[in-house]
Amino acid sequence: MLDEDVAEATLRAIGSKATVLLAEVRLEERNMRGLAVKSSQVSGLNSLEDSGMNVRVVLPTGIGFASSNRVSRVEGARLAKQALRLAKGGKRKSPVTMSSEQPVRTTWAVSQKRSLIDVTTEDKLAFLRELDSLVVKTGVKVQGRYYELKDYEIGGFFANSEGSRIRSFLPRVVIEASNIVSSKGEVAKSIREWGASGGWEKVDEWDLGRVLPAEVRMLKNQIEHGKVLKPGVYDLVCGSEVTGIAAHESCGHPMEADRILGREMSQAGRSFVSPDMIGKKIGSKYATVIDDPTVPGSYGYYLYDQEGVKARPRHLYKDGLINEFLQNRETASRMNLKSNGSSRSEYYLREPIARMANTFVAPGDFQEDELIGSVKDGVLMRSFTEWNIDDKRYNQKYVSREAYFVKDGELAGPAKKCTLEITTPGFWGAIDAVSKKVELNAGECGKGDPMQGMAVCTGGPMLRLRSVTLK
Amino acid sequence: MSDLKELAVHLVELARSEGAKDVVAQAVQSDTQQVRFSNSQIDAVNGWSERHAILFVAVGKHAIASDLRSPDNYDELAKRLVVQAKKAPENEGYGGIASGRFKYKPARIDRAIIGLKDPSKLVHEAISAAESEGANNVGGTLFVRHQRSGIASSAGALATDESASVDLSVRAFSQPEASGHALSCSPRLSRLRPKETGAKAGRLAAMAKNPAQGDQGKSDFILEPLFIGGLINSTSNMMSAFQVDIGMSMYAKKIGKRVASEEVTILDDPVSDSTSRRAFDHEGAPCRRNVVVKDGILNTYLHNTSTAKRFKTKTTANAGPLIPTAFTTAGQPLPFHPVVVPGDWKVDEMIADTKRGLYANNTWYTRYQNYSTGEFSTIPRDAILRIENGEIVGAVKNIRVSDNMMNLWKSADAISKSSEEIFWWDEAAPPSTLPTARFRGLNVTRSS
Repeated sequence: MLDEDVAEATLRAIGSKATVLLAEVRLEERNMRGLAVKSSQVSGLNSLEDSGMNVRVVLPTGIGFASSNRVSRVEGARLAKQALRLAKGGKRKSPVTMSSEQPVRTTWAVSQKRSLIDVTTEDKLAFLRELDSLVVKTGVKVQGRYYELKDYEIGGFFANSEGSRIRSFLPRVVIEASNIVSSKGEVAKSIREWGASGGWEKVDEWDLGRVLPAEVRMLKNQIEHGKVLKPGVYDLVCGSEVTGIAAHESCGHPMEADRILGREMSQAGRSFVSPDMIGKKIGSKYATVIDDPTVPGSYGYYLYDQEGVKARPRHLYKDGLINEFLQNRETASRMNLKSNGSSRSEYYLREPIARMANTFVAPGDFQEDELIGSVKDGVLMRSFTEWNIDDKRYNQKYVSREAYFVKDGELAGPAKKCTLEITTPGFWGAIDAVSKKVELNAGECGKGDPMQGMAVCTGGPMLRLRSVTLK
Repeated sequence: MSDLKELAVHLVELARSEGAKDVVAQAVQSDTQQVRFSNSQIDAVNGWSERHAILFVAVGKHAIASDLRSPDNYDELAKRLVVQAKKAPENEGYGGIASGRFKYKPARIDRAIIGLKDPSKLVHEAISAAESEGANNVGGTLFVRHQRSGIASSAGALATDESASVDLSVRAFSQPEASGHALSCSPRLSRLRPKETGAKAGRLAAMAKNPAQGDQGKSDFILEPLFIGGLINSTSNMMSAFQVDIGMSMYAKKIGKRVASEEVTILDDPVSDSTSRRAFDHEGAPCRRNVVVKDGILNTYLHNTSTAKRFKTKTTANAGPLIPTAFTTAGQPLPFHPVVVPGDWKVDEMIADTKRGLYANNTWYTRYQNYSTGEFSTIPRDAILRIENGEIVGAVKNIRVSDNMMNLWKSADAISKSSEEIFWWDEAAPPSTLPTARFRGLNVTRSS
């Protein structure tokens, strides 16, 4: 149990000097269990019981962040002193400011129907072996079958010099499955992830006993029956996985305010978006992308961010216009705005920065078969394998893992390795229809220095893009 | 005996007394300071201090690892881990830990790094130098790292190690789409070059001004060490026997076969002086220099004891972390410090010898369609300079290299005499020592 008195004593150690704009203390404990199975055999087993704390001090001259895996009053006092010294070391000419936010005193927790800690290693191993067995039973040659399961609980206590006191409890479970299918001398890979906030009941919801065998059968079908697309201009229907990666890469990332302001310029890069582009057109009227940390049970779920600001949905692109950036208190202040609760850190040893949570395209009015049914000559790209985007988030590439030709409104056989290489306005501007059903996929987003892997979801409905170039 | 070695020995003895057969304990104290800067000003100064112990125990083939992070509770956690191991399912692929009478060569560290009082001064020097070369917006990071560790195992490992290093990354912009990136990494403070690093980034940013849309099709490329660092990241990872074993490597069944042009020799060398020099791997085996690719022929995979047993060979002392970290899998062999052995070209000669092509400073977001065949793409960033008739004549933008990684290495036909240490973020990692090299006929694509 985290000792709130340590946080209070640490805040007192920082003191109430007029030059301190803001002081924050975060205590955290994390219990984690990991199991990896390779071709039905245990490949790795590990566990972790961790606790630590950090102190962030904001002075006009700079921000100092000090952290340690020890939690005590003595350590808190040491970190307070260090953070103050580091903040003074910034020597900024333009002073740091933070947006004004209401102090919060609350507790939030994610409940579990079946507690993760109650699931034994034997049960988990039996579950992964059953998945492996079902994949083997398909008869598909899967030369690499590697499944990792990780579950953990994060307990946190946040206190700041403005009076916020927030206690939190967040259990998460995540499975990554890697399947390498080979047939007729060709190889296709599938690396997929499922993640949620909650208990073991989430794992049951994923229905992996059906999904994984279907995945390897699909890859075999793509290899054996897929035909190469003749490069040209086609209508494209994106499945939720492709919709989601586009929402994440070419909307979520370029709309991070710290990136827009240049703070990530030497790592993840800057953005094609500038602060004065709010209200500017980025796509068709169907391009609405939401980042929402409050989706119950989602992998990117939280109710208060790591600056103590209440989370809420952010409409990043709305009806085809650039609408709202992902803000923390520092970036919001520089734009004369309030934070929208986007500050996250991977764990207590890392500084909080502006991050996505669950980023998805808003649903539309169409049924999925209506979207496909109106395509005369095109492609349905359900999922992707290789992908990337430039560091201004303008030029992106998605190569299909699962795709099908669409002829006269009907699926007409698998299409192999279809490639969409397109600009951001090109993608969002080509949408002319959106389906009703939203699906979310879990993933790990990388940003920050040192790299912080962050639990997120990406997703959305099916999108129909008219007249895009496919290779 | 250092406090950390004492702790490691204690944990090994304790775990053994509780019934564990194989035990590795590594106690670590690390202190890191980072100065982050952008828009030519310092944004934040961050510090991390960690003291913990990584403990691996096996009872027969029942194996488990944990990171013990509560110093007041080490004994209880260690005892509990042995109990967990006894109950754990068998790890059928477990092949033991490195055993022997080991001799280690710990490095002498530069105490000036630990005593560095004001790292922000170095950052300001780099920013000023970049601006003096034409940059108007400069960002980056400066890391000051210090780590001590002690390791012990039930199979003979017993050692201490200490490292200290500084690494500076500077990205400079002269226009919103014209940038240059330069690094300086060293285990010696006196060898850090903040002014030269800033100046190089600024100079490249100035050369990259007014970029034109790049062309699709085949192009020769001269790639700077930083760019190659982004490629060696995934390339060297695929040299891990673990990646081969799970079907995620283009090097499967390629031992003794050509995987690069004869100009290319790739080592993993964690024992030479560098920021990632280390005395032992995560099983406690003394690190050594391994020749992985010799004159273009694949010589070995990187092994820990378990993968070596599966592949019927010996460990190369590349046992990786026993606990997973962000985007890495625990318990797999990993490269520690890849080196592409220098050739005999001067970079100027390489440019002069190139009729038409591109000179590229950096890349990012290298992703694979298929690891087992090597189809990939990567996005050049920062200065992409156009070469015509042996001279740099302008800059381009918005291109992607979409090719095959095996073909890329086979196309290398010129390697520079000079090389430098490269370590940038997660892209050009782990730290490596790399030359500039020319690659022929790479496929370039771009957005339609």
